[in-house]
Amino acid sequence: MRTYFYYSLFGLAMGATLSMAGLSDYTQIHSLFILENIPLLLVFALAIGMNMVGFMILSRNKKTPKKKLTKGTISGSILFGIGWALTGACPSIALVQLGEGKIAALATVAGILAGVWFYRRATSSALKFDTGICGEE
Amino acid sequence: MELYLPWWITGTALSVITLGFYIALNRPLGVSGSWARIVLWKNDKVIKEAEAPFQNNPKLFEDALMAATIEEFGEETVLEYMQSRHKSDDTTPVKPLTRSVSPNRSPWTAHLVFLIMLVLGGMLGAYLRGDLHIQATLGELHTSLFGSGIGSLMMLFFGGIMVGFGTQMAGGCTSGHGLSGFSRLAPASIIATITFFGTAIAFSTAAHYLG
Repeated sequence: MRTYFYYSLFGLAMGATLSMAGLSDYTQIHSLFILENIPLLLVFALAIGMNMVGFMILSRNKKTPKKKLTKGTISGSILFGIGWALTGACPSIALVQLGEGKIAALATVAGILAGVWFYRRATSSALKFDTGICGEE
Repeated sequence: MELYLPWWITGTALSVITLGFYIALNRPLGVSGSWARIVLWKNDKVIKEAEAPFQNNPKLFEDALMAATIEEFGEETVLEYMQSRHKSDDTTPVKPLTRSVSPNRSPWTAHLVFLIMLVLGGMLGAYLRGDLHIQATLGELHTSLFGSGIGSLMMLFFGGIMVGFGTQMAGGCTSGHGLSGFSRLAPASIIATITFFGTAIAFSTAAHYLG
């Protein structure tokens, strides 16, 4: 029950924060990608900077597992980068857009679902390079 | 357009969320992983069934481990190792097994709740900004870059496939590689974050100035 509570809490907080930052606004994110919206880049930079300090403190006494570089890291990230530019959405933003009433995001969400499904199908049969599931390393 | 909160407030909030998530759930935040767990929901059942006998009987797990070790290295090597352990004064205590086979897994339904709450979070955010309403258009900049109408919906769908496939292949997305991996200084995450940001910037900039 505790698990569900925390997933709900952080999901809601994250969705609201992304929305209020403007990261789910097509115009805002596209203007970031053509480098005309530096404040939006600062949202991300500040969060990473603060997290660096936070994780340093949190992992003082224990080793935290880190993601490993795989064959898919760079090619997958290139694919994701193009997809992000085309849709203005990453896996969480597409859902936030949907909640905000941007109905076109339905197409993005359907695409993401199909993409994840294709990848998992492909790795279970043809391509033998499972790159793990994010958050469970 | 001062619709949005200043960057230092939302940046701080995102950091608090990443760290809070890590403290509360003892795992790094990663949205693409939640998508995978939902798509692979059937695996939860298979794993649960496979684990069931071991959960009730830890001895069975030790036996299975030993059997697998013998199969991998051969009986002789294993026997030799056991004897050498006995002979030498190797008294290093063997760490007791405290966790089940798959640690740190939450049920797929928890991930589903997480994604649904992201949708509701978007709704809440838009409401607080006073901008919650059905929007059919994608904005001028999007239209100038990638067109409008049915064609742009197709593009969103195919772009979505690239986002889904790409993030699974890369092992993470903006939250997993970016917010939680980059800041723990994982080389793979730093490379991934620079690659997807760089690609998106290069692609959009090219579309903007060449298109």
